[in-house]
Amino acid sequence: MFFLRLFRWFSLRNLRTHWGRALVVLLGIALGAAVFTSVRLAVHASLSSFVRSMDFFAGTAQKVLVRPGGYLPEGVLPVLLGHPAVKDFSPLLTTYVRRSDVPGDSFLMIGIDPLLDQAFRKWRISGDRDQATERWLDLIREPYTLILTEPLARELQIASGARLKLDHTRNSAEFRVAGILMPEGLALVEGGRVALTDIATFQEFTGLYGLLDRIDLTFKPKATPQDIEDLARKLPAELELRSPSAARDSGTAMIRAYQLNLSVLSFASLFVGMFLVYSLVALNVAARRRELAVLRSLGASPRTLFMLFLCEGMLFGAGGWMLAIPLSSLLVKYLLHGVSQTISTLFVRVQVEGLVLSPLEIAISLGVTLLTAAGAALQPAREAMGVPPKEAMEISQAGVRRGHSVRRLALWALGCILAGIPLSLLPGVAGVPLPGYLAILLLFIGFALLSPWMLERLGQRLAPLLRRYAGIPAYLAGRYLRDCGARTAISVGALITAVALFTALVVMIHSFRHTVELWVRQTVSGDLFVTTKMGQVNRFRFAIPETIVAGLKQMDVGADYVQSRRYQMNYGDFPYEFEAMGMETFLSHGGFVWLKGDPQETRLRLTQGEGVLISEVFATRTGLGIGDVFRTQIEGSSIELPVVGIIRDYRTDGGVVFYSWKHFKERFHDPQWSGVRFFFKDRASEVGGRVSALRNAIIQRWGDALDMVSGKDLRESVLRIFDETFAITTVLLLIALAVAALGITTTLTVMVLERSRQLSTLYAVGGSFRQIRAMIFWEASFLVAAGEVAGLACGFILSYLLVYVINRQSFGWTFLYVVDWGALAFSLPLIILTALAAAVPAVRMVFRAPPAALLRER
Amino acid sequence: MRSAFAFIFASMVILIGGLRTADADNSSGFLQVTGPCKLEFPRDHAPHPGFRNEWWYYTGNLKSETGRHFGYQLTFFRHQLTPFGGSAGWPDPPSAWRSRQIYIGHAAVSDISAKRHLQAEKVGREGLEGLGIGGWVQYGQDVTLFLPGWSAVIFPDSHKIAVAGDDFAFQLELKPAKPPVKHGISGYSRKGSTPERASCYYSFSRLETSGSITVAGKSIPVKGESWMDHEFSTAPLEPGTVGWDWFSIQLADRSEFMIFLLRREDGGLNTASSGTYIDSLGVLRHLDRGYFDVRVLDTWRSKASGAVYPSGWQIKIPLLGIEVDVASNLPDQEMQTSASTGVTYWEGSVSVKGVKGGSPIEGQGYVELTGYAGPFSALK
Repeated sequence: MFFLRLFRWFSLRNLRTHWGRALVVLLGIALGAAVFTSVRLAVHASLSSFVRSMDFFAGTAQKVLVRPGGYLPEGVLPVLLGHPAVKDFSPLLTTYVRRSDVPGDSFLMIGIDPLLDQAFRKWRISGDRDQATERWLDLIREPYTLILTEPLARELQIASGARLKLDHTRNSAEFRVAGILMPEGLALVEGGRVALTDIATFQEFTGLYGLLDRIDLTFKPKATPQDIEDLARKLPAELELRSPSAARDSGTAMIRAYQLNLSVLSFASLFVGMFLVYSLVALNVAARRRELAVLRSLGASPRTLFMLFLCEGMLFGAGGWMLAIPLSSLLVKYLLHGVSQTISTLFVRVQVEGLVLSPLEIAISLGVTLLTAAGAALQPAREAMGVPPKEAMEISQAGVRRGHSVRRLALWALGCILAGIPLSLLPGVAGVPLPGYLAILLLFIGFALLSPWMLERLGQRLAPLLRRYAGIPAYLAGRYLRDCGARTAISVGALITAVALFTALVVMIHSFRHTVELWVRQTVSGDLFVTTKMGQVNRFRFAIPETIVAGLKQMDVGADYVQSRRYQMNYGDFPYEFEAMGMETFLSHGGFVWLKGDPQETRLRLTQGEGVLISEVFATRTGLGIGDVFRTQIEGSSIELPVVGIIRDYRTDGGVVFYSWKHFKERFHDPQWSGVRFFFKDRASEVGGRVSALRNAIIQRWGDALDMVSGKDLRESVLRIFDETFAITTVLLLIALAVAALGITTTLTVMVLERSRQLSTLYAVGGSFRQIRAMIFWEASFLVAAGEVAGLACGFILSYLLVYVINRQSFGWTFLYVVDWGALAFSLPLIILTALAAAVPAVRMVFRAPPAALLRER
Repeated sequence: MRSAFAFIFASMVILIGGLRTADADNSSGFLQVTGPCKLEFPRDHAPHPGFRNEWWYYTGNLKSETGRHFGYQLTFFRHQLTPFGGSAGWPDPPSAWRSRQIYIGHAAVSDISAKRHLQAEKVGREGLEGLGIGGWVQYGQDVTLFLPGWSAVIFPDSHKIAVAGDDFAFQLELKPAKPPVKHGISGYSRKGSTPERASCYYSFSRLETSGSITVAGKSIPVKGESWMDHEFSTAPLEPGTVGWDWFSIQLADRSEFMIFLLRREDGGLNTASSGTYIDSLGVLRHLDRGYFDVRVLDTWRSKASGAVYPSGWQIKIPLLGIEVDVASNLPDQEMQTSASTGVTYWEGSVSVKGVKGGSPIEGQGYVELTGYAGPFSALK
């Protein structure tokens, strides 16, 4: 109780007196906490939506029977029926469909046997029991009936009993809506964008007669692992018994990696805010040494003083966090959509139906904010412990003190920065690049600790020059920075962090974009891309009908074609795509972004079908390298081929394996075509018109049976998605810069306030207001310049860590390192100007109180 | 979803008592039972597509060599979703899953000596040729009904039934001791006030049974006697009927009787309630409602469902000089069918003691009680 009273009298009153500074710090922390909290909540919403969706979808299944790369023949059911370990089974098919008559997004259609599925998944139809039962039985009773979720029915503007026409890759058909699903269980999959139909209708609609996506299984309680192995042995070798959580786990791991990356990025704002807390608490310690000494002489222990300032820091943390709540609620709305879209684009399809206020996420955000603020107050609080009682009787100890030897700090700084090198070489822990993040943290700390030494050197070198060329105010500013020691320098750390982050992200995003552009130009080359209707949303699972393939081959339009078949596969638990493509033609028009392997030799081996090409992500995730043997099972074919090269590839999910279509057909089986791209041979004349003509010819012949996109549009859309993906990063970056600007304002304001006596003396000995303000402005310029130079250096190191360590360990890919000098040359002066603008309030504060009054107080 | 099955069940189970309400009647296009059934065997052991509901129902009391007493039941339900009509109205070609009928199975073992009741259920659609999820096949005169792991094979002169559940299994061979008994008027059994509220209904009232029952992982050879019902219909229950009590009693003098009571909302009984008496030589006598009296002597409350079921009765058939007390051999023989029909009912082994023609007599049997764990909504 006593401590609380003391805290109120000593700390709260002081903060109330200097409410302006406190408010700036609170705002800085609030911004940082808001970004951190909203990013966490936004990703958490996607994550929980994904996990929930996957869990509802998996139901109670203990194992899932699949045929890698293809469909299961339903003829396997008797094996399951006859096996003593199997308790229940439920066959299932899924596909994405869309309404034919009204444009709109596609949604998931699930085909089940409602009788067999009841042991696996929960779903009910709304309405009274008799009605619900009748509607449910209608699924089996009446061909082409379905049940919709309530949100989907609303979106499609359709009621129970009404009819709607649906499009699928292979067919269009009219369905009757037999009922509306209650919002529970299966109805919550994919954010409620789900329709249920009977398995018979599904097969008739899609033409997948006798085929299933998967069969979910539960086992009898007494079934042993040996019994399950026995079942696996009795099943055809091309089938696989998988864990139902495999897809959920791999998706969750990817989203978590993304969450961690965004969290670290958003933590940067909080980290920058940390400097603000440090700055103000340090000022309070420095300016109130005499009061501290009095407290000590009255019996307060050093621990009490330590706690006072630590609590002051934590108060900023708690206050900032509270203030962050309304900010977060605004920011999270913006982030929610962007984050879910990015996750859907890069990793797994998610449909976020709303924000989930996770107590854990809120506790993490509060904890991190409090810890950050407490961490920032730790050093000033320790300084407060060292104030001796005798200072109560002394007069002139207040003011700036040099806490640490600048050289010693520089050594620490060097140690931190160098420690990052071995850390960055360490592998991630459980797929999380923890050593990499630690290296980044040490890098920031190192550069912040290095800044006193830098300022000292800057002051030493520049002061004489400035005296000659910029006059006395600039000279005095240089001298001041030389002598001001660690505290001012720590404030520069805020700017260093922000500039470093800015530089690193500019380099990383540019490198990424540059590499993606290169990839798009070479690997996504082609003039017209053709696939089955809704082929992309259904992940190219359906083959183009043979009759259309024959017609496409015969089209005489002066274009080469590259056929391909894409299979969604799993290597262990890692999902990847296997693409068999017309390699020879492709390599004559396009190419790959080579990473490892001699391109010339690899091309030759690829066209001869001697091996597969794997993407960097696939290589990183699976550990496979050139010369290793890639093994898989596709549609019953057992594939065993050496890896002949590693390339960069940035398509969804990342992992890709390429093989020659022709040799796949010769050595394994006819993979059919899931897509084809055309390359016009004559590049001299205008291609756009010929692409349109080809597209029209295809439409004329096959109507809307095929989806088409011009190569130009496809490449543009890839890059647009890329830019949208990084929009969130840019917002986070701008917020970090805003917090850094607040840091500059606080630092300079503190500098002016604590030196008001000094400045008044300068005025008393003949300095003009203008000169003194110019001096402050020069100081600000030095700080900003030093921050920017150090930030730039730090940023380049950071960018290297991001490109080659963090991205590789988080997502499995790296990029060609390319610096966007233009963007840096344009933005860095802007940052200087912004930072100098942030100094204006401090400059204006000089002599707000009359100098005479200040000197009288002295 | 689970409750969904209640509807099917209500419209199927109720064949014993005539079935769904008029307002829920959706029987257009289905065949109707309106007059003589012209039952012929073994032909009519097979399913009767075209009628909406059908069931094959086996119950029995068996004993091990050491005298351990077991009761059992196995029921196959067939429910037709749309009127018979081949593949008319189906997409061309139809999926192998396309079906007009679904099959549901309920099975239970009452381990009377160990005081436990084990149960299982199955459900599947007909139509998957060769896949064996549910349905029936006929080879010559032999009819096989099946669900995964369950089967009932009806040969011209015997039956073989097999169930493999999680907690129990049984394999039994049943040989009719008497010819089939056609209830009502030559199998035309009225269940309501109008001619179509009826079913075709026959029974094997005494089947010598032998085989094995597996409980707790141990297979136990058993012998005893069973009862088999086969019934089909389309009509729903008459409005105001809330459930039924059904008795199949085998007396020690090798005579049997069956009684079903259709209970009304007002506490009374539907006048269509009736029964059949079969003497030791297999001669039968139809029992109209006025020929018998059934009084409840005791009740039992289920902890699982909260339902209060009768558990002891006095049955009087004055015309035949029968006055017996019927008592359940195990109070808890409640069927919880959440994975199939969703309907909770009591189906259990009973013992009989009393007098017949002035002489003391004992017997055994099975009783089915529905509509006690909440009325079937389909019945309202």
